[in-house]
Amino acid sequence: MAAEATPSTASSSNSKIPIYEGSTQYRHWRFSPEQLAHTRATLNEAAVKLIRDAFEADSAGSSSSVSFLNADEELLLVKLYAGKVSQLCGHFRFPEEVEATAVTYLKRFYLKNTVMDWHPKNVMLTALFLATKTTNHPIALEHYASHIPRTAPSDVLDLEFLVAQSLGFDFAVWHAHRALWGIWLDIQTLPDIDMNELRKAYDVALTHVRASRLTDVELIYTPSQIALACLSLASPGLASAWARSKSGSPESSPSSPSSTPSPEILVLELLEPIKSMILIQGSPPDVEAVREVDRRLKLCKNPEKIVGSNAYNKKREAQERKAAEKRARKAAQVRQAMADGDPFGSELAEQDMVDDDDDDD
Amino acid sequence: MCESCIDRLFTLGPAPCPICNKILRKLAFTPQTFEDLDVEKEVAVRRRIAKEFNKRREDFPDLRSYNDYLEEVEDIAFNLINDIDVAETEARIAQYKIENAAIIEQNLQREEQYAQYLKEQEEADRLEREQRAAELKKLEEEEREEKEKGRQELIDKLETSDKDVKKLIARSRAEAMKRAAARIITPALRSTSHLLRSRAAQSTAVPDVPHVPLQDDWYAYEDKFTLRDDYDDPVSDAVRKDREGIMRAGGYRVEEAWERALRFAVAGLDVRPLQGLRSEPPPASTSQDVVMTAA
Repeated sequence: MAAEATPSTASSSNSKIPIYEGSTQYRHWRFSPEQLAHTRATLNEAAVKLIRDAFEADSAGSSSSVSFLNADEELLLVKLYAGKVSQLCGHFRFPEEVEATAVTYLKRFYLKNTVMDWHPKNVMLTALFLATKTTNHPIALEHYASHIPRTAPSDVLDLEFLVAQSLGFDFAVWHAHRALWGIWLDIQTLPDIDMNELRKAYDVALTHVRASRLTDVELIYTPSQIALACLSLASPGLASAWARSKSGSPESSPSSPSSTPSPEILVLELLEPIKSMILIQGSPPDVEAVREVDRRLKLCKNPEKIVGSNAYNKKREAQERKAAEKRARKAAQVRQAMADGDPFGSELAEQDMVDDDDDDD
Repeated sequence: MCESCIDRLFTLGPAPCPICNKILRKLAFTPQTFEDLDVEKEVAVRRRIAKEFNKRREDFPDLRSYNDYLEEVEDIAFNLINDIDVAETEARIAQYKIENAAIIEQNLQREEQYAQYLKEQEEADRLEREQRAAELKKLEEEEREEKEKGRQELIDKLETSDKDVKKLIARSRAEAMKRAAARIITPALRSTSHLLRSRAAQSTAVPDVPHVPLQDDWYAYEDKFTLRDDYDDPVSDAVRKDREGIMRAGGYRVEEAWERALRFAVAGLDVRPLQGLRSEPPPASTSQDVVMTAA
């Protein structure tokens, strides 16, 4: 799992752990760009292999004509549906927190699963529904499903546990828009701030934050850094003024000239890649390209997941057989124990430890 | 025993009870309050004893002696209720009465005084409430009269003077507003402050028990920001401008939301992003539908 970089805080002398570093967002959902690419590539390869096998098992030779998606195309599709979340939230008038959480859930889900197994449309609906619940803005399932065309409540519910499991049940997300709000409040404590300029910059920065949701920044950087980057895109002066005030520490005195750059410079340097990421990747994907990918997706979906297909039924049968075997084994054990006269089993050491855990399913 | 039978048997003076032949008087019969006769008997006994055994905790030097006294009383009550050693118990009661006659008297007085005091309190409360209601009514009357008067004046002025109609109306309306504002401030202040004072006088402030603040090993970026009292903040305007405080019902305080936002703004500001591939990339297996993330 993503190993933790040592926190390079100026206050590393105190033994307390910063609370952000206790959050699951820091511990489990922080990657480097290389790691992200690698994860997606390996996920995609493994998925293609599995699905190819499934196709072959169904009817030999069928898989050669199917062109599977690659990792970039999967990402394109995810991005498209992330944008659709925003539309839906506008329709339901959900607060921004719900929207941001749902998009995060969607992105994290597709770091653990592939588009070819689970179509992002349903996952998006489920992620949004889950987000309304976890952010304490719940709505009734019937109400939700009735406002979305061609959706039954069961479509949403079927995937819910899967989504939750893929997230590792890490439901709490730290968002950049809240950090931006905090920066807005905090800048007002600085002297000589022009409120008009600040207001305009805040609005622009907020649009950048919304664009950033379509990118990978929240999987690499912390929300405060993203927020500061967005503000810096809107008004570099304000951003650096605030950063300077935050890093006001004794190190920034002239006694240490160039050996340790002041923390403020470090932070501002950090913002550059974020800014470029937002500007480059932060726009909705090209409609034509997405349509093409969608078309191909219809052909290369994993047949095992489609209810009613041969592969699905075969898999179900295999699972049931395993379960039946397990039950028979357990019954045999119990019978043996009863026969021995001690219902709790007399000789523990002599039995083979059969792993009856359900985790593998 | 039904009332008519009681009348029949006992009107002519004390007579023997039809069952146990004890001599009883008509006066001794009381209407039954409880369904269960045992309970009725117990209550009657306790009521009788309570008249005599009315000592309080303050009358005893320490808790032990008070509890001993209470046990005595319970003992006597138990005996009387279950008809054990009745004669002896009666003797005990008589002896207690002789010994503590003075104290019993004192306590009786004290209780009477207390009951009196409570009644007076209630009276005072009721009077006050009535007074306030009367005042409010008077105020309303006055307001209505003034409004009427104002309207009349306006009509008269419109009739008589040649000045611009609109200006007259505007002026009269301004006067009415001024009057209303002045009126609202004075009586409201008077009554609420009076209430507050009396209530404060009744209750005594309980000082906060000294406690150790929560200590744990988490650093919450407290030194990176200071929360101000007020911000120019359109996001929280709706809550702050809400006069009736409906949105703040659940104990919601804007300061807490601001603090959370500020904390987010400084949290992890200097956490360097990860770089490169680590030796163990996250397991990418899709043979299972789900990966339980390793901690």
